[in-house]
Amino acid sequence: MPSAERKPDHIVQLVWPGQRSELVTLGATGKSGGAGEIFSIEGKPEFVAKIYHASTSQAHLARYRHKIQWMLDHKPALPEVPAEYQDIVQLAWPDALILRRSRFVGFAMRKITFDRTLELDYLLNRRQSAQEGFDADYGKLLTVCFNLASLINCLHEKRIAIVDLKPMNVKVHKAELYVSILDCDGFHIDTEEFRHDAPQVTPEYLAPEFHDKAVTHPEAQDSFALAAIIFRLLNYGIHPFTGVASDHDKYPRELAGRIKQGLYPYGKVAHKTVRKVPASVHEAFPDSLRQLFDRAFASPGYSRPSAREWVEALSIYASKHSGQISPCEKGHLKFSGRPCPTCLREALIEGAEVRRRSFVVRMQAAPARTLKYMRRTLRQTHSSPFQAALAQAQLFTFRQLAPPAPISTRNAIALEILWISGLLIAFWWAG
Amino acid sequence: MSPLAAIILWAVLLFVAWRWRPPQAASPSAWVLLIAFGALGAGALWFDFHPEPAGFAFWKPTVVYWTLAAIMLILPPLGGGYPAKIILGNYFALSNREWRWINRGFAFLCVLLGGVNLVTAAQASYKDWEGFKFSCMVFLLTIVLFRLNFVWLPILAEVSIHLYRRATAAYRFLSSLF
Repeated sequence: MPSAERKPDHIVQLVWPGQRSELVTLGATGKSGGAGEIFSIEGKPEFVAKIYHASTSQAHLARYRHKIQWMLDHKPALPEVPAEYQDIVQLAWPDALILRRSRFVGFAMRKITFDRTLELDYLLNRRQSAQEGFDADYGKLLTVCFNLASLINCLHEKRIAIVDLKPMNVKVHKAELYVSILDCDGFHIDTEEFRHDAPQVTPEYLAPEFHDKAVTHPEAQDSFALAAIIFRLLNYGIHPFTGVASDHDKYPRELAGRIKQGLYPYGKVAHKTVRKVPASVHEAFPDSLRQLFDRAFASPGYSRPSAREWVEALSIYASKHSGQISPCEKGHLKFSGRPCPTCLREALIEGAEVRRRSFVVRMQAAPARTLKYMRRTLRQTHSSPFQAALAQAQLFTFRQLAPPAPISTRNAIALEILWISGLLIAFWWAG
Repeated sequence: MSPLAAIILWAVLLFVAWRWRPPQAASPSAWVLLIAFGALGAGALWFDFHPEPAGFAFWKPTVVYWTLAAIMLILPPLGGGYPAKIILGNYFALSNREWRWINRGFAFLCVLLGGVNLVTAAQASYKDWEGFKFSCMVFLLTIVLFRLNFVWLPILAEVSIHLYRRATAAYRFLSSLF
């Protein structure tokens, strides 16, 4: 930014751990969230600054400062990444306090390079992810699931929970398949020396026991949201509580209502009132994963699989050498010993498309077929003995011929107008 | 519906019939039936707007039945074809012999109905005569049902199919716009 355009408000003080501080200039990025705005930091391209909105009250700012200070002092140990990927930022964790005129206004964090990443939301739609340069297959998706579960497990070990865990808050590195979690300052922290709640939730990923209530067990909430994200990633974006109800009137329209009522139709034991959506491929998942999903969505909160259990279950599928993932006849990756979910999905979609086309063709051909049938009946030229018998039965065994000379429908209507006129006249005279 | 509106509607329908008339020449029996019913129709119109002569109501069924009987009896010997073929519809592949007997049967029935109508009118009560008159209309209704099944329904099917095709084409055109 040219120095002439610099505003005094954009010059802030960065306070690093160990109380080393420096003055820096912020540059607008145009990115803004619910709590604050993101700025670039001049001379530090690997960092960005989150500055809380000016409308944030002093009391809130004080709480934020306390939390950010604790986070600076207690950076969690994250899953190890190979040396060549050390620049990957797995958590947008605070790295420095930001003060303006000695007052806390925000924090600095490592920058997640958006060019190398895409929102996890995009992976829920194969076409969208392909457009973003990510060719999703089950090998990659399981690795992403494993990396996400590992990251959450690391946080849970430090008694930190995300609470508002949803695909929009997670970035996926396209080439490396590591994940980055955003909005770390909104995490729930519950340690012996420090506690901070996370009031923000998303109903579509909120565990049933926390609907209309505060989240009292944040790790259980994370486990639910993690299971929902994994289910959606592996099942072409289908939410575990999306289904087809036999009784539409009692079936909640919103996913939140279905979660609250536990209307999960993808269990190993079929739900009594809700059916799976036809495009689901969950039956191609291995039993170990299906059992975890059933525990996550159809069991009480305390028996829900933790992030650690997911890590253990997914590790064998995320590893290339385990032999648990193998190519199908068409070359798609699938769970060994299970049907190929990609082929299953293609067959389902192709089947639906074939049925749709066939229906359209039948509908379009219906008038011509009916006309042909009527003409054959009138001319008694049915090639099929069954149709001939049917036509004969309709005609009370009278043999019929075509009119002596071909007449159009209009001609026939003209004759019938005369005939009906004669009939009305006859009725007048006879009645 | 007022009589004037009914006449206008009928005239429009007759105009449509004229415009859509078949290109083939009509058979003599068709022409005779057309002329006869034209005359009967004109008579009906006349008596709708003028007072009927006393006792004419009793003669009306006999007039129509005997007119039909006369046409059916006179035309075949003169080489005018079988009017029963026009009445029932010429879609049925019956031999001339079969048509001749059907025509004779129709003619006999019409003679009988016209005659019994006069006898009933002369000897039975008015109520009994009315009952007989309306029961005779079952004969006409039978012909209507016969024609409905074998002629009108196929025409209705053809017209419906034509409209359906138009609707499909219109739908395709509109959907192609979006």
